[in-house]
Parts: sequence; C-alpha cells; structure tokens
Amino acid sequence: MDAERILGACVRDAGDRIRAALAIRFRDFDLAEEAFAFACLRAVETWSRNGPPRDPAAWLYAVGRRRAFDLGRRAKVRGAAVLEPPDPAPDPESLLIAAFEPIPDERLRLIFVCCHPALAPEARIALTLRTLCGLSIERLARVWLTSETAMLQRITRAKRKIRDARIRFEIPEPGAWGERLEAVLATLEIAYAQAYEDAAGACDAADLAHETLRLSGLLAALLPKEPEVLGLATLIRLAESRRPARLDPSGAMIPLSEQDVRLWDPELINEAAQLLQRAAQEGRSGPYQLMAAIHATHAARRETGVTAWRCVVTLYDFLLVARPSPLTEVNRAVALAEVMGVDAGLDALRAADRIQPLCDWLPYQAARASLCARAGRSAEAALALRAALALGPAPAERRFLARRLEELSA
Amino acid sequence: MQYLLLIYSDENLSDPATLQEVTAAHMRLGAELQEAGAMVGGNRLRKSDSATTVRNVGGAQSLHDGPYAETREQLGGYYLVEAPDLDAAIAWAKKIPGGPNYAVEVRPIWPIG
Repeated sequence: MDAERILGACVRDAGDRIRAALAIRFRDFDLAEEAFAFACLRAVETWSRNGPPRDPAAWLYAVGRRRAFDLGRRAKVRGAAVLEPPDPAPDPESLLIAAFEPIPDERLRLIFVCCHPALAPEARIALTLRTLCGLSIERLARVWLTSETAMLQRITRAKRKIRDARIRFEIPEPGAWGERLEAVLATLEIAYAQAYEDAAGACDAADLAHETLRLSGLLAALLPKEPEVLGLATLIRLAESRRPARLDPSGAMIPLSEQDVRLWDPELINEAAQLLQRAAQEGRSGPYQLMAAIHATHAARRETGVTAWRCVVTLYDFLLVARPSPLTEVNRAVALAEVMGVDAGLDALRAADRIQPLCDWLPYQAARASLCARAGRSAEAALALRAALALGPAPAERRFLARRLEELSA
Repeated sequence: MQYLLLIYSDENLSDPATLQEVTAAHMRLGAELQEAGAMVGGNRLRKSDSATTVRNVGGAQSLHDGPYAETREQLGGYYLVEAPDLDAAIAWAKKIPGGPNYAVEVRPIWPIG
C-alpha cells in the first residue's frame, strides 16, 4: 500500500472536516493549519513504515490535535496564548485509543466564521477556500490575479480581525441568522462567479468551480431546511452542468442558446432538480431559488428541445423585485426579445441603461450587440461589439465577440 | 462638563523606543488626571483594520469591513458597550439612531496590560 496515495485520498475525503475540527477546537486558524500539515507529514513517515491505520482520518485528527496542544503549550510558555491543558504524553496506546474518537463535524461553524459579514467579501472567499478547502495561497493568488504577498496579507488580516474584533466561533444567534447566512451565500456566489467567468476555465478556475460546487453541496447537506441554501446549490450545479458545452473547438465561448444540450451533464442536472424541489417544499422563495429556477428552465431544453422564454421573463420579473441588479435587467431584456421581439428587448436594454449608465459594462454591450445584429442594425451591433471587446472579456468570450465582429464586416 | 479627547495618531508606529516612551507618558497623564479628579475613563483602541462600520443609508443598513473613512459626516458621539462578541456589538450599533444617512464604527477596545 502506498502511504502517500492513501493520505491523498484521506485528505480529499476528510481533509476539510479535520481542518475544521482543529480550527474550531483551538480557535486558531494558524495553529490548526500547522498541526494538520504536521499530521500529514508524520502520516507519510509512519504509514510507509508500519502500514496505514485502520481509520486514517481519525489518525490524522488525533495526531493533529496532539500537535496543536503541544504548539499551544509552547506558545503558552512564551505567554502568548491560553489553551486547555495538554493531553498526557503521547504514546502509541493513547494514539490508538484516540483514533476511535469521532471527528466532530465543525464545518458549518467554520463556514460562518470565515464568511462573517464584517469581513470584506474578497477576504471571506480567500479565507473560506484556504481554511475549508486547503487551497494554497499561490493558487488563490493566481485565480484572483494578485500577488502571493497580497493574498497572504488578505488572509492574515482577516484572521487577525476575527481574533481582535472577537468574531465568535459559533453558529449565529437567531437574531443575526439572516444576515450571517446571506453573507455565506454571497461568498459562495462570488467565488463561483469567478470560476464561471472564463468558459475556457484553465485548471485553476475549474478547480475553484469544483470546490465551490462541493462547498455549496456541503452547505445544503448541513442546512437542509434553508431553501436559499438549496437554491444556491441548485444554481451552481445547473451552471456547472453546461461547462462541457461552453466552448467550441477553437476555444471560443458558445452562448447558452446555441449550446449542444447533449453535452450538458445529466447527473448534475438531476441532482439540481431534486435540490430545487426540496427548496420549493419549504415554501419560502428568494433570489437564489429564482435564479436557480431560471437555470432550470434553460436546462429543460435538454428534454423538450425548446426554451420556455415566457417563463424565463416572468422569473426575471420576480427576481427584479427580490434583488434588482443591472445583470438581471440585461438578462431579462434578452429573454424579452425572445417573447416580444428584438425591438422590445432593445427598448428594455435602453430602459436599464437609463436607471444606471451601463455603456462601460461588458454584459450590457454584449447583449446590445446580439440584439442589434438580430434586428439587422449591423453598424450599431459592430459598435457594441467593439465596445465589449475594449472592456477586457475573458479569452473565450473575446474569441466569440471577435468572430461575431468578423461576421458582421463580412 | 465632560469632554471627550480624541487621539489621532499613526497606528503603524512600530519603533519600540518611541512606543515605550508614549506608553509611559500615557501612564503619567493617567495618574495626573486621576489625581486632579478629572479622569472619567479612557481606552486604547485596536488598530483600525479590526473595525467594522455599520452604514445607514435611507433606512437601509449594511456592514463594511474597516473604519469609517468618509469626510462629510463628523464624529457626533459615542457609546461604550460591553458585548460578548462582535455580533452582539453590531446588534447594538444597529440600534443607534441618526438622520437619514450616517455610520457607526464598531472598534474593539484593546485592554492595557
């Protein structure tokens, strides 16, 4: 048996749980991280010598916990921290006994700490992905196009604020629940949006998408009666189900309405349908469920061959009330064009631009280009495409827009 | 009559000698105030990056990570509250009334010693 392979599998399956249990138990992210890293290192040595333990995850937790106690005790000697008394001296027998102690599931508590609304959204995302998923600073820096130093600072500062401002390591009180849960959902939403933006999804973005998918599923399992949590999990699954259909062979983005539905992932769509149904049973609607329902209406094309655009427009109408945003206005305009004609869509876009100037915003120019082209207004479409290209689209979208522009000039 | 004396300083001051000097001077001033019967209270605050600001805009409240940094509003008062954690402190901050637009910065006290 290959110790490293077993360790890899164990970290993949139980790593987030062990990390969370250590962080919550010691109320200290750095201590937990260091202790977990130590346990992994020790595992490779010990397991390749003596063979793997019966329960590798419990072994990692027990060794990590002991290491954290030792580190904490040392810090205490230096007068820096106050911790519970350490376990008795480590011996193989106590390790064996400890190995049968179940690992407490503290992931929900940890999610609430990392996603506290008093932390800036970008700090929440970084801290959540670092502490819960174990994503490296290097990788986080690459995804967010920032330096490793800046990313490290962001995370260090967030940890310091949690400590200094005393953000408690507890599930929030009922009075604060709504705002705290909203902050968690917003964190995952922004993280997924980052992963989704580039259809070409180089490995970092795909990784991030995978982690967000996993976290949203975990949250849905931990809070099965929160319909908006289920809504977000649905939304992410449906968006992710289309990943295989989002790129053509040249690496250009394929818009939703032109995607080959046979490439959509039926398993994710299925999973999403069940989640959305459970959300609906709770009888409390909200923006995430509405967005999920819009995605679900698009997903239905896989079965029916058509898109129920009228239904999409109605859902966008509700969403505009629940959570008004320029993106919702623009998406609704595009859907409206399918139901009422291109001119109605263009009118709606103009109306959105009057509420808030959108000409420097990529989704607006891309939508305008598409509708103008369909209305036969080639000059305006070309202008919008040039504006969109100047707004720094991700590579796959840039190829798509550039090709549209070529087609117009041809 | 009571007066609030607000201290604005470089919070990243790190030269140990200067820090020590300033701390000692604060101790001396504290003793002097006590002796004169003028001391009502005083605290050191944690660095501004541990602050959370509750913004009130037309009745809507939102949280922001960091200190209050606008210049239009001026410091108009303060409450010193005992709270078990940040959520509880924020809950109090949200109850603080004001005009249509105002903000309340929640900053932890940094106990001395």
